[in-house]
Parts: sequence; C-alpha cells; structure tokens
Amino acid sequence: MEEKLTTRRKVLIGMTAAVGSAGIPFAAVPFLSAWNPSAKAKAVGAPVKVDISKIQVGQKIQVAWRKQPVFVIRHSKEALANLSQIEEKLDDPQSNNIDEPYRDINPTRSTSNEFTVIAGVCTHLGCSPKYYPKMEPQPWDETWIGGFFCPCHGSMFDIVGRVFKGVPAPTNLKVPPHNFRGNILTIGEDKGTA
Amino acid sequence: MSNQSSGIFNWVNDRLPIKNTYERHLSKHPVPKKVNFWYLFGALALVVLIIQIVSGIWLMFGYENTEEGAFASVEYIMRDVDYGWVVRYMHTTGASMFFAVVYLHMFRGLMYGSYHKPRELVWIFGMTIYLVMMAEGFLGYVLPYGQMSYWGAQVIISLFGAIPFIGESLELWVRGDYYISGATISRFFALHVVALPLILIALVFMHLVALHEVGAGNPEGVDIEKYVDEDGVPLDSVPFFPYKILNALVAIGIFGIVFSIIMFFFPEGGGYMLELANFEEANPLSTPDHIAPVWYYSPYYAMLRAIPDKLGGLIVMGAAIAILFVVPWLDRSKAASIRYKGNLSKIAMTIFVISWLMLAWLGTMPVTELRTTLSQIGTVIYFAFFLLMPVYTSIEKSRPVPERL
Amino acid sequence: MKLVILSFFFLFSLGASSAESAPCGNYGECDEFAPQLNNLESLQLGAVTFMNNCYGCHSLKYSRWNRIAKDLEIPEEIFASNLVYGQTVKLGDTMNGSMKKEVAETWFGISPPDLTLVTRLHGSDWVYTYLKTFYEDSSKPYGVNNMVYPGAAMPNVLASMQGQQILSCKQVPIIASNGGVKRDSSGNNITEEKCGYLKTIPGSGTLSTEEFDEVIYNLVNFMTYVGEPSRADRERIGWYVILFFIIFTSFAYLLFKEYQKDYH
Repeated sequence: MEEKLTTRRKVLIGMTAAVGSAGIPFAAVPFLSAWNPSAKAKAVGAPVKVDISKIQVGQKIQVAWRKQPVFVIRHSKEALANLSQIEEKLDDPQSNNIDEPYRDINPTRSTSNEFTVIAGVCTHLGCSPKYYPKMEPQPWDETWIGGFFCPCHGSMFDIVGRVFKGVPAPTNLKVPPHNFRGNILTIGEDKGTA
Repeated sequence: MSNQSSGIFNWVNDRLPIKNTYERHLSKHPVPKKVNFWYLFGALALVVLIIQIVSGIWLMFGYENTEEGAFASVEYIMRDVDYGWVVRYMHTTGASMFFAVVYLHMFRGLMYGSYHKPRELVWIFGMTIYLVMMAEGFLGYVLPYGQMSYWGAQVIISLFGAIPFIGESLELWVRGDYYISGATISRFFALHVVALPLILIALVFMHLVALHEVGAGNPEGVDIEKYVDEDGVPLDSVPFFPYKILNALVAIGIFGIVFSIIMFFFPEGGGYMLELANFEEANPLSTPDHIAPVWYYSPYYAMLRAIPDKLGGLIVMGAAIAILFVVPWLDRSKAASIRYKGNLSKIAMTIFVISWLMLAWLGTMPVTELRTTLSQIGTVIYFAFFLLMPVYTSIEKSRPVPERL
Repeated sequence: MKLVILSFFFLFSLGASSAESAPCGNYGECDEFAPQLNNLESLQLGAVTFMNNCYGCHSLKYSRWNRIAKDLEIPEEIFASNLVYGQTVKLGDTMNGSMKKEVAETWFGISPPDLTLVTRLHGSDWVYTYLKTFYEDSSKPYGVNNMVYPGAAMPNVLASMQGQQILSCKQVPIIASNGGVKRDSSGNNITEEKCGYLKTIPGSGTLSTEEFDEVIYNLVNFMTYVGEPSRADRERIGWYVILFFIIFTSFAYLLFKEYQKDYH
C-alpha cells in the first residue's frame, strides 16, 4: 500500500477543503451575531426624552442614555461668548479630529444655541469627568477657566467638552445624536418621531 | 523563517510530546481497514459533544437560572438575541442526536462484541459516559422551567422518595425546597453546565485512551494484532491519516444533512424532542394531562411504569442500566461478532432489539392495561437477554473466526 | 433483520399518530391549518384582528412591538398609530397586554392566559378549530360554550362577525361494522339522527362563513408567526445549510472512494 498524490486526488482535496472552509464563516455568523445587543438591550437603550425647561442657566444635569451618563448644560450668553477666546488652550477647538455630528452650527456643539449635550465619558479611558463651572484656581490648574475635569487621569475639557492641550484624553467629548422640540430634548435620535 | 519556526517547534516538542501524541493518536493511529458504517458513530458522538459544548456556552449568555426568569429567558434567546434560535435549536437537536448516535454506537458494541477481551474497560468507560449523559440530559431538560420540565423533574425526583428510610428527606435535599423551585434550577444549572460536562470530558478522554491502547475492533471480530509488519503495525490496518479521516468526513457530512433537516424543519421532533407542553411555563398547581419523557429515556420509563411498586420500579430501572456494565462477563461466546455467533445469539439479539423499540414506544404513550402488560413483557425480555446470555452463548456453537480481515 | 426493524418503526409511527382522545375535544379531529408565514397581507390582517379583538384581554408578553412591525413590514408610524393602543407604549417594549391582572381576575375569575406561545403549546390546528367552534349555551356564564375546550371561561368576542352558532341535530348515514354505509333494500342510505353538530344561523353575523373562516385563518396565521417569529427565516436558511452539506458530502465521498483504492 503506497500513498500516491495524483492530480485527481489533489483536485478533490482542494475542492473538499474549499467547500469545508467556505462553510466556516457562515457557521460563525450566528455565534458572532448572538453577541450583538439583543432586542431587549436595544429597547432599554432607546432614545430618552428630557424636559429642559427647568434647567437653570449655568446648571448641568446628568441623563442616562444606554446606561451611560450624558451631560446637558445650559450656558449663559457670556460663557458662550468666551468660548472663542480660550481656543489657544484647546487641542482641537473645531472638533476636526472626531466625527462631529453638528459641526459649525452653534458654539454649544449641539443643535441648540443655548444647551450643550455631550457624552459624560472621558475619551481617555472611559471615566466620567466632573463639572467645575467656575473660573477659579483649582489644585490641578491655577488658571482654571471652568469646564470638566476627569478624576481618573486628570484630563481637562472646557464647558462644551473640548479637550485641553497636554492632557491624556486624545479627543473632545462626544456629542450624541439628539434633537430639541420645544422644551423636550430627545437624546438618541436625530429627528423626532411624530 | 521555516528554520526558525521548526526551531521553536523542536524546542516545544522536546518538552511536550506534540509530534508523538499526534502521530500515535491521530495521524498514524492504525485503524482496521475493513469496517462498516456502524463504526462511525463514535466519531459522530465526539462531534455532537463539541456542538453541545459550544452551543451550551452560547445559551448560557442569555439563560437566567431563576424561577421567575428561566422560562422567559429561553424565549428571550429565541426572539431577542440575534440568531439565538439557531443556538438553541442546535442544542436541543444536539441533545437528541447525541442519544441517537450513542444508542447506535452502543448497539454496534453489542452486535459486534466490542466489549470482548481486551476491550472491557473501553466498554465500561462507555457505559459510564452513557449514565452521565442521562443525568446531563435530565438536568438540562429541567432548566427551561416549562410544564414538562417541572413535572418530569417532579416524577424523577419523587423516585428518590422510594428509597427506604431516607427517601423523603433525600427528595427535599435534592430539591433544596418544598417544590422544584429557583433553588433547584440553580443547582441543576451548575451541575448541567460545569460539573457533569467536566466529568463527561474526562470520561471521553479515558474512553479514547483505553481504546487506543487496545485498538479498534471490527465487524468480523478478527484480532488484527496477530499479523503485524516489521514496525509492529497490523497488516490489516491503515493509518487514520489520510485514510480513515475520510470515512469520518463523509460520516460528518451525512450527519450534517440529517442534523440540519431536523434542526431547521422539525426542531420539535413531533413533540418527542421538544415536548409541546413545555411551551407553557411551569405551574406547580396543575399537572399536564399526559407526562411522557423525551424519547431517549422512554424505554426505561416504560420499565419503571411496568412495575406496580414504587421501590421495585426504581430498582428495575436502575438494574436495567447497571446490567449493561457487566455485559463483557456475561458473553461467553468465543466469537465476538454476531456474524460468527450461533443462531441462539442471533435470535436473542433480534428479539431484544424489537422489544427495546417497543418499550421506547410504550414509554411515550399514556398507560392502558394492554400497554402495561406489553411493558412488562418487554422488561422481562430486556433482562432475559442479558441474564441468559451466559447460557445461550455457551451452549450454542459459534463458527470459527477468520485469521485475517 | 433490517426489514424487521423497519417494519416495526412503521408500526410504531402508526401507533403514535393515532391519538388517545380526540385532539380537539368534542369536535373530534381538528380542522387542518397550514400556515403561510410569508404571506404578509394575511399576517397583517391577522395582526389587526388580534389587536382589535384579543389584545384587550390577552398579552403577547414575549413579543416586542417593533419586531412585529419589522417582520410584517409595517412602517413604524403606521404601526404606532393603527395597532398600538396606549400612548405610553414604546415600540421596543414587550406586549404586556392592556388589562391589569387584578381587573381580569374579577371579570373572568382567572386572568386570561398569555397567547405568545399558544400555537406552539396546543398547535395551530387546535387554536384555529377552537376559535370557530363557540356555540350558544345559556347554562354558561358568557352564554357560550366551546366544542374544542368545553367550559372555556371566555366570551365569544367574534360572535358579531360569525353570527349565532348553535348545536343542532341532523340525519347521518349509519356506518355498518364493515365500514360501509348501511343501505335499505332499495339502495337508499339508512340514516339516523345524531346531535352535537355546529350550525350557524344564516344572516345573523356580519360575515359569511367563508369570510369568517378567512378572518380566523389570518388571525391564527399571525398567532403562529408570533409563536416563533424566526420560523420563516429558519426554514429559508435550512435549505442552504442542507445544500452545503450535500455538496460537502459529495466531494468528501469522492475523495474517500479515491483513497480507498489504496487499501481495497
């Protein structure tokens, strides 16, 4: 008995192996897909509605969307006017390095000219930054101009979530999809449903 | 580059016998050259074991082992998880196919005397695997906490109550509650997904190591070790690679066709694989009209019901499994294979198969007087087949077994 | 011996299918129901019937609104305004029913069962037959009884469509012991009066018998879909998987035969 590798054998081995391995990605589909967020997770992560009429000027509220903190801040006119003057402290004032959904509409980075809506998750390693709105010296910065400070690794952001130069966080805080309808802010979708 | 990687390989191989193990147990492992399809179910059982482990792990991602959440979590997997239904049907179909394949594998063993010297331990490990599988299947069936899960478990756990003196407290201890509750399903869950699979894998390993020590049998019952070449390789064998792996590939392909027909088109198996009453959440206050086990337990369930005594039924059912372990010492025939055994063995085997199938059918049916009688006859035949084996295998005349395959 | 085994399998399958007691209660054998899970129009009409007539009392608690909208290809806006009752409902939610459990228990004595899995529990045939076999029975609290499930604690919510259905008697041929119909000397069938047949009083409902059957068909078709929403996918994907294994097996078999030449 001797094993011979004829052309016929080579072809058949090739075909069997090809068909067999072609099946593997298909077999993997259900197992990989099963790790996606389920319909239940998606239902829990559905858009949330917030009544913003009660927010004071200068106040920040925290909303949970997909169990993640989202900050909604109502800015005073002065605070917004100051935004353009601090740009030399910022790493990316125009949000050019990220996929900014509402670019160049408002200084707030949102679709409203008064409210900022940002994900309260530091772009460094996912901690939630704290809000220190007042312009006063802070232990981490003698010339603090107001904004967000991350307690985990000391990243700093201004009041609309733009990252400072020389901190660990690589990019500005993200702006989630949202829309304003009267006093109702919907976080999680661009266009409101009727 | 290739020098470097072979260098790394050699380094590892000097410390871990990869090459040796691979050649001994896979590539060069000698397999009898003439075997029939009956010899492929072992490989298929291994395939199903892997299917069960993988799909089982995926089911655990969604399953909730609580009284309130178990039933709903199964529907959650079926509906809300992307392709969760594929995973679940794979597991439920796999359970039935595991038993189907193992029953055929066991029947092969009985038919061709795979338990004959020197393969007694292979057989015993195999029977232990079967026993663990039965426990594993039962525990798994309780987990969805449907009506059949509940009442099936109620019946089986109540069997412990038949044991004198300690029975009742044993029942309570097994359940951990006064009924089959969340406490019961969480311990069943842990046993089903961790404890028994570990034991099962260990036993399968032992089964294979023992088999590779003594070599696989063949339908003729020929001892192929008698004629070996200068390297000690049996002349009537071929190496597993590239020859016998192809038998396995064909078998896996055909098995895949059968498996997918059932899984995609008949996942309920007409109510014998997934019982319809299990589509209702467990209700401890209302028993379904008809409690039947899934098909793979039904012969033994029929025996249980055939005995009009609680303890007696339990003993008979246990004995029916226990007797399988001693088959290697019951068979006194010189020939291993049914092909060379005498007529008495052939007749006994035929009657045994018919009565086992009859019992399987009876176990799924509601009780009537006639059926109870039939079950009793079936039970007697079942035990007679084994208990009389020393007699009929020694008085009959077997034909001489050939020297070569 | 193989033949013996095969014939036994055959016998058993016969024995197993001949049922113990009639599957549809006093009605006997159920009316057959063949679902059409790819017939979206039927499923949509069934969904409308379900929401209008059943969802008031029964929930579909394992099913989600937006899954049905997606599978039945109903745009979410149309779905939300026409099929969803209750303003607080989010489309991603499960369909937990619109009736409070306590209210239901005071009304019906028991809370109406969840219907997500009813077609899998009893079979679609059973549900289809059940819904068609209500008849008037003044001895019952709701004035109706059911052939399939006698004593059902449920009013016949579809009575206005179906009309009045009553139990009646009719002449039926006598079946002789040999299975044939008994005939008198002139060759006419001998009949006897038997009771327990359903009869609908013509004109008493808003739909004809055929129209009503179609309503129930669509309804049960929808309920069959809800019982296992992935079933249509399952059967579609199944063909591809089987085809794959057939091709794979063919090549593997040719390869096996080729290598077998070495040792045969």
